[in-house]
Amino acid sequence: MLKMTHLSKVYRTEVVETYALRDFNIDVKEGEFVAVTGPSGSGKTTFLTIAGLLETFSGGEYHLDGIEVSNLNDNARSKIRNEKIGFIFQAFNLIPDLNVFDNIEVPLRYRGMKAAERKQRIMDSLERVGLASRAKHYPAELSGGQQQRVAIARALAGSPRLLLADEPTGNLDTQMARGVMELLEDIHREGATIVMVTHDPELAARAQRNVHIIDGQVVDLSEDPRFHTVHVAEEAHG
Amino acid sequence: MKLHPILAALRKHKAGTVLIALQIALTLAIVCNAVFIIGQRIERVNRPTGLDESNLFLISQQWVGAPSADTPDGVEKLDAMQREDLAALRQLPDVVSVAPINSIPLLNSSWTGSVSLKPGAQLGGKGNTRTAYYFTDEQALSTLGLRLVAGRAFTAGDVQHQGFRDQRERPIAIITRQLADKLFPQGSAVGKVMYTDGSSAPTTVVGVVERLQIPASGSWGNEFVWNSTLIPTRLDANFARYAVRTKPGRLDAAMRAVAPVLYKVNPLRVLDDDSVKPFDEIRAKAYRADRGMAVLMGVVCLILLCVTAAGIVGLTSFWVGQRHRQIGVRRALGARKADILHYFQIENLLIAGAGVVIGVLLAVGLNLWLMTHYEMSRIPLPYVLTGVLAMLAMGQAAVFVPARRASNVPPVEATRAA
Repeated sequence: MLKMTHLSKVYRTEVVETYALRDFNIDVKEGEFVAVTGPSGSGKTTFLTIAGLLETFSGGEYHLDGIEVSNLNDNARSKIRNEKIGFIFQAFNLIPDLNVFDNIEVPLRYRGMKAAERKQRIMDSLERVGLASRAKHYPAELSGGQQQRVAIARALAGSPRLLLADEPTGNLDTQMARGVMELLEDIHREGATIVMVTHDPELAARAQRNVHIIDGQVVDLSEDPRFHTVHVAEEAHG
Repeated sequence: MKLHPILAALRKHKAGTVLIALQIALTLAIVCNAVFIIGQRIERVNRPTGLDESNLFLISQQWVGAPSADTPDGVEKLDAMQREDLAALRQLPDVVSVAPINSIPLLNSSWTGSVSLKPGAQLGGKGNTRTAYYFTDEQALSTLGLRLVAGRAFTAGDVQHQGFRDQRERPIAIITRQLADKLFPQGSAVGKVMYTDGSSAPTTVVGVVERLQIPASGSWGNEFVWNSTLIPTRLDANFARYAVRTKPGRLDAAMRAVAPVLYKVNPLRVLDDDSVKPFDEIRAKAYRADRGMAVLMGVVCLILLCVTAAGIVGLTSFWVGQRHRQIGVRRALGARKADILHYFQIENLLIAGAGVVIGVLLAVGLNLWLMTHYEMSRIPLPYVLTGVLAMLAMGQAAVFVPARRASNVPPVEATRAA
């Protein structure tokens, strides 16, 4: 479903080159629920933005649902984002001027879907997240957890091949976070492929597979000497 | 059309939306009426006088120590002086013809009166038609370049002379087609009789010219601007005017030759550079105020349009800045650059559309007010429609740059911290 091979992302200024991702390799199979973890600045979000075609990359290969995306133009990337990817952002990213129904409708309109089908999908996805009664509410009238559910409904309405979640519970309290996480687990059980970036080890543990990123590279925690050093130090203190 | 979400978003930004719509409405109302006024002025300035205006100039001169026109003897002497001048001018090699004349179109020095089909009609009474008189001679038509459409021109035998303030019967006249149609709507005016200035003495129409504007260029003459009457009479006074037609391309040479020739005939006269004017200078002077007004209104319109365009650019730029992240989210959700561009263009079209609807009502209202309080005609529909299209086009042009900036917001903005 999502395969990156020797992928790199370099941010260049006049005096310095900074590798956000270096020789980055990952393969997410269809139907997997992968949690991507790592310390701040490790490259998690860069990975997610490249995976979601929000940014281009500097080298390597990236196949999404069998399509090599490196040479796609802006319109083609927009089309793939619209049709194959569902985004769930930490800050929800609902459009404050639009009500819940209209927010969910945004990506469907860009797809050129007929009004009747749009309405059906919107109501189905709102039912799915338990907010069918809030269709006419504006984001400001909803709690954080409800806003994130609306964002999930927006991501689901387009029936994407891949759900990308960036710290989906980062702005929520524990109870709301639990509810959102249970919703993601339900969606995964129904067959969705989910890649979730998170800081929270408890959430990461609930995913099917964990991928750890350090310094822009995927590392195997059991083989990473830095990880061992921490554990050895912890054991010595213990 | 993706109008619903755009309208929903606009409802959340009522103040800016209403202000810009009202600005567009006011601009449309003012610009439509101003352009209409400019159009009317231009039409006025460009309307043909009926003269063949090229190769035509006017001499206005005054004798010093001339006899009084209040005595029969003085009138005869003044007429002799005038005839001497005419003879001398007609001898000039570059001159085709010369006619004595009391005024000329656009000179703003008029002798006006009224004509009636009834003798002794009271001046200004019902059935009278206002007219401007041109007192001239048998060379008038050729000198002025008037087109005779019926009857005949004056002959030398028709021409009388009279003191400037004397009353004298006017046995014949040539009138303009417009005056003829008004006086004699049924059939030809030639051979018909009319009465001038309440006189009981008949004046027979011997000819009709296509067109001859009255001397007054001001709006007070609008109602009888084409009602001119030519009387075959030299007016004798201590001043005289001569219309001169020159050979093609010899206008300047002929004008230069005037002063030496007239001084030779009689040096006791006032004749300076301002006394000899080509007709185009007379036209330019007559319409200077109209042109000034048109330019002023044009500048005001331009400033208004610029201010409105700047308002649209400013508001759209502000909204683009305010919605930067939102645009990134839309891009992340699949919007193409073109979708973002179209979003702002349609949004502007909706605001401008509301503005022009109000603007059309205001434009018509303003026009009605101007019609009631000033001499203004009803604004024609094409002016309003052109104004509407121009405002919509201006809105689209003004919104393009900020909208394009919006379309270049990258989708990764969606992941940036708010």
